[in-house]
Formats: sequence, structure tokens, C-alpha cells
Amino acid sequence: MRFNEKELVFLSRQPSEMAAELGMRGPKKGDVVKKRLVKLVVNFLFYFRTDEEEPIGALLLEQCRVEREDSQSFSVAFLDEAERKYLFECDSEEQCGEWIDSIIKASYEFMRKNLIFYRTEIHRLTGKDPLEQYGISDETRFQVSNGLQLTPRDAASL
Amino acid sequence: MKLHEKILTHYLSCTSPVDKEGYLYKKKERNATYHRRWFVLKANLLFYQERPADRHLLGVIVLEGCAVRRVESDGRFAFSLVFEGPGLKTYRFAAVDVQTQESWVKALLSASHCYLSLLVRDLGRQYEEVKQQQSLGQPHHCSSVGALEETTSGLLPRPMDVVREGRNFSASTVLPAHSATTRAKKSPKLWPRRNALVTPLNKPAPQYSEWPLVGFDPLEDFRKIHDYYGQEVKKAREEWLRSRRAAEEQQDDGALIKLG
Repeated sequence: MRFNEKELVFLSRQPSEMAAELGMRGPKKGDVVKKRLVKLVVNFLFYFRTDEEEPIGALLLEQCRVEREDSQSFSVAFLDEAERKYLFECDSEEQCGEWIDSIIKASYEFMRKNLIFYRTEIHRLTGKDPLEQYGISDETRFQVSNGLQLTPRDAASL
Repeated sequence: MKLHEKILTHYLSCTSPVDKEGYLYKKKERNATYHRRWFVLKANLLFYQERPADRHLLGVIVLEGCAVRRVESDGRFAFSLVFEGPGLKTYRFAAVDVQTQESWVKALLSASHCYLSLLVRDLGRQYEEVKQQQSLGQPHHCSSVGALEETTSGLLPRPMDVVREGRNFSASTVLPAHSATTRAKKSPKLWPRRNALVTPLNKPAPQYSEWPLVGFDPLEDFRKIHDYYGQEVKKAREEWLRSRRAAEEQQDDGALIKLG
């Protein structure tokens, strides 16, 4: 599958608050922990060999489960394959907690849910749709599901 | 760099809704021909394949750091995704009609993670304000909406629409709105007037390096973005309010200003 690699590499070099050297172990049997520069940018987790400019890889942080493994490490599992986990070892319990929190909150779907919640609540409390002033009330991506007042009107798939 | 494709394809096929899908023509860079492809937009990812039923995906475009531009050329309903940065691509598309073009442009403009992030924070702040006002027993009153309108109306440039919308506000809320948005912070004029989120359609897209930092105070950025783009709107609105006030003064003084 083709993808915009150069643009993604460029993205990986943008400043990020969550960037640190962590121990990282892949999901396959026989994978060992290696020191990697792990960096969270938007909903991607990039990992680099220390001091290299281009990341080794990029993990999309959607539909994944983040779990604490022990006091200083956490895991990220994809594809509903609970056994296929990426393990990350941090330097402290606090750092570990920060990473878990940041990864969860970085998910696009997580943010979308929050947006829909705020939109619904603001509308309920004020009678006004806060997205109206942005001109994006009809965008499918911001729609409230299950038959509330702000239901989608446009046929997005045509 | 390895992009773990299975994760992307799994996300595409999972139960969360698709944000937009449909046929578009994609221009092949090398021979400048257009090929019809089925596109699926989900979150900040634009997938494409030959036909909707295909299981094989041809590719994906990660929509971060790109500007969306309408293009007037060859009489096609064309638009492009311009990635700003050294050696970065421009993806070109064409739709079959103006509605499809508009619909895609709009959907792509609001697709980035960065955009959603700022939007969520802004709405989160509004929510807290509303809750506070409600707990203090005050009905949610319009100055905060006015303040946001001041700062956020420029997000998708539709100046006259904003002025015409039936919002109930009086002239007096314009002033508090101003002060609400100019707290102790750097004047928007001192901030480089660029951002990668709102793309002026007929001007060059901003430099990627001037993209707001992840973790930089997004509320401040959001306000600045809208201050910048809302200047014209502010002016139009102020003029309109002035003329309304003048008209009102000639009528009944006691009535609240009503719109339309």
C-alpha cells in the first residue's frame, strides 16, 4: 500500500512534548527490548534509533489498547490481538503514567467522542450548537449519533 | 520508514464511521492523467482504492500539515492537497461537479488531527464556561458567544453569513467581548500571521515550520488564528452594529436590539 512517506517523516520531526528514550520491544516472539527514541505526534507513535533522523517506524494509535504492565512499563496492543503487544519501558512510574495518558488522549476517535460530548452538552445547556459559528455543523465527522437533535443531514457517501 | 499497514487497514474496517467516501479523479504525477479512484476519508487518513468493493487498498494519504486548495484549471472541479515543506508532494484531484468538489474540500479542511485538537479544546473551554455560569444561576448570556464569534468566526471564511445569523446580542456585548479576548498575552499582530489549519484559498499556504507546536498553548493559537482571520468579519460586524444602533435610536429606546 502506498503512503506519503516523505510527508510522514516530515511530520515525525515536528516538535512534540512526548518524546523520550524508552526501552521498546516488538510483539513477535523472540523480540528483545531495544533503546529507542519514541515520539508521539498527532495520533502516530514514531520510533527512532537514537540520533537517527528518519524513524524506523510509525504506529497509528487508533483501535489500540494501552495497558500498564508494571510500575514502569506499559504496552500497546493492536488489531484486537491481545498477545501482539508492543512493550515500552520507562524510567519512572510517573513517566509511564504520562505516556499512557498521552497515548490514550492522542487517539482521533477519543478526541472525536469528546467533541461530540461537548457539542451535545453545550447545545443542551444553551440551546445553541457551538459548531454553527464555525460553519461545520453538517460535517459528518462531528455528528452526534443515535437520534438526538443534531443528526447528520448530508449524504456523505455520494 | 515502516508504516504498520495492518493497523491502518484494521482501523479502516472497524466499526467507527467513515467520514466521507466517494469517487474522485486522482492525477498521476508522472503523466498528468487522471484516474478514477474510490476514496474513503476516516479521521486524518485518506484511503484510496480502485473500486469500493476492492479489498486491496492502493494507498493512503496522512492528512497532517497540508493545505487544501481549490484549483481552477482545465474546466475541472479540481482541488489539491499541498504539503508544505522541502521536497513534499502536492496531490491533485478532480470531482465530477461543483457540489462534490465543495463537499470534499470542506471535509478535508476539517480532517486533520491538529484541527480537531484545537476544536475540542475550544469547545471544552466553552463547556466549562457554560457550566460555571449555570451553577452561578446565570442564564448563559451572549457575551461569551459574542467573544467566541469575534475570535472564531474566521475559521471558514464566510463573513456576511456570520453577520446575518440570528444571534441575539446587543451593542454592549461587543465591548466586553473585546476585553475578554485581550487578556495579558502577546498581541496577535506580533505573531507571525500564519497557520496550517485555515487555508486562505487564493494565497500561498503557510510554511510548515510555522505550524503550531504540539503542546504549545492551543487556546492561544486558536484565538490568534481567528483574530487574524476574523479581522474583516469584526469590521463588518462593527459597522453593521453601528448602523443598527443608529437605526434603533431612532425607534423605541427601551427595546432590546433584535435581529431580523
